[in-house]
Amino acid sequence: MKICQVIKPLVSTNRIPGFEHKHLQVVLDGSAQLVAVDAVGAKPGDWVICVGSSAAREAAGSKEYPSDLTIVGIIDDWDPTVPT
Amino acid sequence: MDINQVVGTLVCTYRIPGLEHCSLRILKDRKGKLQVATDPVGTRPGNWVFTASGSAGRYAMGDASILTDLTIGGIIDHWEPETLARTAPATSRATSQAPAPDSGAAQAA
Repeated sequence: MKICQVIKPLVSTNRIPGFEHKHLQVVLDGSAQLVAVDAVGAKPGDWVICVGSSAAREAAGSKEYPSDLTIVGIIDDWDPTVPT
Repeated sequence: MDINQVVGTLVCTYRIPGLEHCSLRILKDRKGKLQVATDPVGTRPGNWVFTASGSAGRYAMGDASILTDLTIGGIIDHWEPETLARTAPATSRATSQAPAPDSGAAQAA
């Protein structure tokens, strides 16, 4: 699983019906900007845990949910500079 | 899911039955690498889209029997490339930016 920082919500009105009404967030993984389905309701600036591959589908809703990256948790306290 | 830009349409008449009649788009990612994705949304060149990869791409097509590993999930309404939005430093401590040295003075010294 990755540790990412939520940047902002991703608005996409013209999208496939498979995503239903779930919120999409732009997250920052190091220097790469990725899009993750928000299953917990994170807000910009939060440090979150993102899960990928088939677990992302299950976490986002059902086994047929077309997501390959889902936010599954908000980290209470995280200091990116200190290598834990 | 990644964010890519649609560059153009790929015409590929001689293909395996698994791809059926899906329209194929050429996408360019952040580093400029070109990829091919199936397009259930109907995009035009220049659109910024987000894509689902791997097995999620097959479910994104609505029919998991289509043999794709990258599918366009939707067109992003508004996107400026390479603008790292300033996140509110509510939780993360803002790292102090090194002051940019005044280039003129540096060379003169």
